[in-house]
Amino acid sequence: MSVLAQSVGFGLITASVLALAAVGLSLQFGVTNYINFAYGEFLTIGAYLAWTLSHGLHLNVYLALVVATLIMGVLALLLNRFLLRPFTKKGVPLLFLLVVTFGLSLFLSNLTLAIWGPDFQSLDLPREVPHAFGPFLFTTSQLTIIGIAAVAMGALHILLTRTEIGKAMRAMSDSVDLAQISGIDTDRITSFTWLLSGCLAGLAGIVLAINITSFQPNFGGEFLFVIFAAVILGGVGSPYGAMLGALVIGLATEMSAVLINSAYKNDVAFALLILTLLLRPQGIIRMAGKAA
Amino acid sequence: MSPIVYYLTTLVVFFFIFAISTWGLNLQFGTAGILNFTYITFFAIGGYFTGVSMLGRPDALSNMRYILGLNLPFPIALLVGATAAGVLGLLVGLVALRRLRSDYLAIVTVSVGAIVYDFVNVNTGLFNGADGIAGIPYPFNDSLNLDPNTYTFFYIALTGLVTLVLGLLAFRIYNSPLGRTLRAIREDADVASAFGKDSYRFRMIAMVVGCVYAGIAGGLLVGFISALNPGGWVAGETFLLYAALLLGGRGNNWGALLGAFLVPVLFQEATRYLPQIPGHAELIPALRNMIVGGLLIAVLWFRPEGILPERKAKFPGVEYLKKRKAALEVG
Repeated sequence: MSVLAQSVGFGLITASVLALAAVGLSLQFGVTNYINFAYGEFLTIGAYLAWTLSHGLHLNVYLALVVATLIMGVLALLLNRFLLRPFTKKGVPLLFLLVVTFGLSLFLSNLTLAIWGPDFQSLDLPREVPHAFGPFLFTTSQLTIIGIAAVAMGALHILLTRTEIGKAMRAMSDSVDLAQISGIDTDRITSFTWLLSGCLAGLAGIVLAINITSFQPNFGGEFLFVIFAAVILGGVGSPYGAMLGALVIGLATEMSAVLINSAYKNDVAFALLILTLLLRPQGIIRMAGKAA
Repeated sequence: MSPIVYYLTTLVVFFFIFAISTWGLNLQFGTAGILNFTYITFFAIGGYFTGVSMLGRPDALSNMRYILGLNLPFPIALLVGATAAGVLGLLVGLVALRRLRSDYLAIVTVSVGAIVYDFVNVNTGLFNGADGIAGIPYPFNDSLNLDPNTYTFFYIALTGLVTLVLGLLAFRIYNSPLGRTLRAIREDADVASAFGKDSYRFRMIAMVVGCVYAGIAGGLLVGFISALNPGGWVAGETFLLYAALLLGGRGNNWGALLGAFLVPVLFQEATRYLPQIPGHAELIPALRNMIVGGLLIAVLWFRPEGILPERKAKFPGVEYLKKRKAALEVG
């Protein structure tokens, strides 16, 4: 099997992790119209919750994954309800709202450090067996990651196109005022969006932790700018753009590890982010009003 | 000299360095409304370039690897550091300031911070990687030959002079047409551009000058502690400066000065000597950072203008028009 083919395989795995994270960030940005700089910590907390459930409470690792994802969703919902929504209701300028999420990221990353300590932890999946797919070779956990992402993206597509609540989210993304006039309960949709965004972040953190095998309290925060790269490349606020951006960034970073040097993986994501901002700031899929 | 005097004199130097940093951040965030979430990176670049300009060529004995090694005197090395920080600010501004939304600049700065941090750690030939540079000579002490205790007083005078000059400049900028224009752009970029103000150009000036302030502060720190490594400029330091500026009063240079005293000096030093919990060395620093993060949010909720609020500009013409309008309505 060629090294390049294997790097494409790795790229697909990274893209799967990134797609979950990027869609969660992009959905929330689309609906609320501000970036959440504490999003990286959502990933970290998701992974640590799963670790506590599976190691501390001896839950089956897959069950722990589901429960931790839901808890992270509820935490995000509560953070919006009791911290961010009061600020937006007060009519705080965008500049300050961003500083609030920035301060929240410092608070949450150190809360994680205080609770779980600085040591490396890992989430273990049972039985790692290699599976061959054409030119690719995947372990069981890698296939699980790709499977989870594929199912989540499919479910999300159905949610956004077939359900009332998904259509309402897309309507709010286009224009909050018009959505409100059409009788959409924007508070409820915003709450639901935070729940969904938190779930996706938690899930992304868990699969990222599985993929990198061991993790520390700062691993989600360090991944944040790669998520930004995917979101901006795809087009801020567009969930389908985020999926596309994740695929491009995932493949580009992993293939560059083979072609250039694995030490510069992150720099490739950074270069793509800068190039997008210079050449096509609206991203691949353009959302009106999101990228002035 | 007793340890307590030595400790207090050290604090004075740190206070000056934080004051310069907070003024620079105030120019960017407080005056121009630029969200630079990696201010500390520019501080570090200034520090590194000042340091490697003062050091001689790296030799095999020292086991340090770094660029430049120019043996320059401190004032010129400090200029090199300030320029390097300004150039990096310019590059970031070129990418991010063309977008009007503040999110984009903030995203780019967060990414630049992560990349520069990685880059300095991985490329050990730049600034000796994770070990960092050390053994930078005390500024001017090759001719002064002072003992360490007396030298601290000399360094207080030196940083005090730089702080005074940069402080006067910060106040001058705020009250100048440049400062007025920046505040107008911060309040409403469309209105400012309708009056013919090129918001991109003005914001770029604020970005670069703010980064130069950071670079000078970094250079002064390196001159004082003779060393710098990546552990000294983690992301947490940027939060500390934001907390200082917001608590003191953004948009007010006196507020920035007060904040620089209250948060990085008083709060950090007062909590530095809390007893550690055995087996959990990270717990107290983590709690301290949680307080800083919480403080940022609390100030924005309870008193977003800070302790010393920015003074609202008063224009005689506006008062006159208001009076006329009131008189007409009565009549």
